[in-house]
Amino acid sequence: MDTTKKMDDANQYIVISMGDEQFGIDIKYIDNIVKMQHITRVPNVASYIRGIINLRGEIIPVMSLRRKMGMDDDVETKASRIIILRLEQLGMLGIIVDEVKEVLTLDDEDVEKKAVTENKEDTDSYIFGVGKYGESLVSLLDVNSVVAFE
Amino acid sequence: MDVSQYLEIFLDETKEHLQSLNTQILELEQNPENMETINEVFRAAHSLKGMAGTMGYKRMQTLTHDMENVFSEVRNGHIKVNASMIDCLFQCLDALEDYLATIQSTGDEGTNDNEMLIKDLNAMLGAENADESETKPQQAKAAVSDASKEKWHTIPMGEPEKHVVREALKQGKNVIGLTVYVQESCILKAARAFLVFKALEELGEVIVSNPSTQDIEDEKFGFDFSIILVSDSDAEKAVAAASNVSEIQEVCAGLILLDTEEVAGGAAKEETAPEEASANEVPEAPQVEKKPVKKETKATEKKNKPVVNRTVRVDIEKLDVLMNLVSELIIAKNSLVSATNVEGATNAGVNEHIEYLESVTTNLHESVMKVRMVPIESVVNKFPRMIRDLQKKLGKKMELHMSGEETELDRTVVDEIGDPLMHLLRNSADHGLESAELRKERGKNEVGYIFLNAYQEGNNVVIEVGDDGNGIDVDAVRKKAIERGTITEEQAEYMTEKEIIDLLFLPSFSTAKQVSDVSGRGVGLDVVRSKIQSLSGEVEVRSKLGVGSTWIIRLPLTLAIIQALMVGVGGEKYAISLAAIDTIEDISPEDIKLVQSKEVITLRGNVIPLVRLNEVLGIESLKDSSENLTAVIVKKGDKQAGLVIDELSGQAEIVIKSLGKYINKSKVISGATILGDGEVALILDTNALL
Repeated sequence: MDTTKKMDDANQYIVISMGDEQFGIDIKYIDNIVKMQHITRVPNVASYIRGIINLRGEIIPVMSLRRKMGMDDDVETKASRIIILRLEQLGMLGIIVDEVKEVLTLDDEDVEKKAVTENKEDTDSYIFGVGKYGESLVSLLDVNSVVAFE
Repeated sequence: MDVSQYLEIFLDETKEHLQSLNTQILELEQNPENMETINEVFRAAHSLKGMAGTMGYKRMQTLTHDMENVFSEVRNGHIKVNASMIDCLFQCLDALEDYLATIQSTGDEGTNDNEMLIKDLNAMLGAENADESETKPQQAKAAVSDASKEKWHTIPMGEPEKHVVREALKQGKNVIGLTVYVQESCILKAARAFLVFKALEELGEVIVSNPSTQDIEDEKFGFDFSIILVSDSDAEKAVAAASNVSEIQEVCAGLILLDTEEVAGGAAKEETAPEEASANEVPEAPQVEKKPVKKETKATEKKNKPVVNRTVRVDIEKLDVLMNLVSELIIAKNSLVSATNVEGATNAGVNEHIEYLESVTTNLHESVMKVRMVPIESVVNKFPRMIRDLQKKLGKKMELHMSGEETELDRTVVDEIGDPLMHLLRNSADHGLESAELRKERGKNEVGYIFLNAYQEGNNVVIEVGDDGNGIDVDAVRKKAIERGTITEEQAEYMTEKEIIDLLFLPSFSTAKQVSDVSGRGVGLDVVRSKIQSLSGEVEVRSKLGVGSTWIIRLPLTLAIIQALMVGVGGEKYAISLAAIDTIEDISPEDIKLVQSKEVITLRGNVIPLVRLNEVLGIESLKDSSENLTAVIVKKGDKQAGLVIDELSGQAEIVIKSLGKYINKSKVISGATILGDGEVALILDTNALL
């Protein structure tokens, strides 16, 4: 209801955890969150593309956020989820995360924008800012650079 | 109701008429005296003019009108068909096609008046101009004022309408009865009627019409309709407004005064004598620019750029079949529901229904597919004209022979296939055919032979395009390739003729010594191939130096649903299109030979390379190397290969889904499909594996 009102100075983020770190993904990109399911491998594609899944009759490619960001490989647990992103250019795309925590609303002033780094190997290059999350901090993912081809 | 709803029909029909004009005029060029063709041409031009006028496209109408005049003179034997006239007519057709293209993209006909063409046409008429009126009998129709023409007297009125009329009269408004006669040659009657309604509604309110507005919209009326209008203006104005619409032959009107008595009796006193509309502007009038039909043009201009949807005109029979199948499907579903509800339902009973359901869905799929199918005729019909033009441009004599125009393909494919075919034909005309002198020297017929054959072959449609010209000079191609550094000299030595010819499909590779504006810029064949590949088809060429070449295009009948063989490789499931499969062979490891360190088998005298799918797909095979191998023999044209798999898991009808934009680098996979259990299986692109 009041999202339009909040839009001006606040954004909502889904907080996910990857290893010890917390990341935030802007809710406007998120179509759906589904449980981990069987992923059909696609041969001869970039290593971070895990394959494709069937989501209610649609074929959706799934990518490993860990592999893309150069972290250790995914370990599937009960908490693992696939976040389905809806992107303007590329359509739907799933990304695998360790755990989905909660929805977080951050005012613009709570977000510290980060200078752009060019180092692709670094997790940092996919982060556009850092927000306050309770006692700790949450790195906000720049979705477009996460999904971009290399 | 709105004219724009007719736009699609208009575009479709205009295209058809233009095509028929093209064909007929070509015919006329061959047999200038053929009366039947002349009549056919005249009719097509007349319909075109009518439709353009209906839609309010003035420029198009003017041009077709002048064309029609010429045809009419020809028909009456006043002038003879000659070469310059044919040329001019073809230019007119091109101009009309330009209009059409503009209309399709913007909804408006543009501003090109094509004055030159109109001048040429009128020059052709020359002295005959004086007789012109003679050919327009409708126009000279005498003004007949006949009470029986005023059909509005007999409009049945209910109590509510009468009440409205009484109220209107009380308020001092005029109640006008009108009967509008549409010209019998008019094509879109309903659109005409609509324009009349629209014009009248600007003056007042239409309270009743006969037949009903709904019937008029559905074109359920003869050539006249009657209206009762409540308006502040008088009858003359109403008549003028209605007559302003073109193709309206006549408008009769009068005031209705309704002294509480029945209107239908025709007892209403008339103060105004029925207006005769014979002087109104009909499109036949020689000077069409007399009085522009402002309302119409406004109506079309107001529309904000209509986006024309792509449509398929479907044979009603095909739809009937579809409808029947859907009904059957519902019955099958119901029986399945009841079969499972019955206490102690036996498996056998359910299975029976499932089998029934399966047969219905298979048929349903086939019919839906057929609905999407259109004959390639619509595309290839323009080629005779193109060859004719090329003949003049290139100064070579040639003939085009076509067969199999009725072969059907998916609409999406038919739309795309025109350009590649055109390119191949141009290639044949320009590079393929030798000059007349050279042909004579070689003992060939002076007139070059170009052909286009289409036919269905299994699940494919094959289109062959070729000529009896020079053929491809393999040595020239080889030399050129080395010159350009495409291949090295050593490579060239080992390459087969076929491989060399394949080089022609590489981007920017043209062997033409001279670049003409017909072809030879080297931006052709690679585009042809990529276009055809994007339609999941393939193209190959057979050529013999001095004898001619043939380009063979193979296209799949349908793109969406295929029959496939499901196979297992390293625990993963893959689908292979049944259309690509020749046989399935059991091979013992001893039968595998090595040629140039590549594995091959000999099968019925053919040496076939083996492709270990697990290696291509980057996965461990589950089979032991000592076990016998299962190989699926796939073909592409005359090439074969054996795909080594782990296990066969049966045949299935699968729906092809795209992998999406994100995964496009995977060469060996052409798509994915969802299996009955919800799992996803990948579809192997066998063409890429060969």
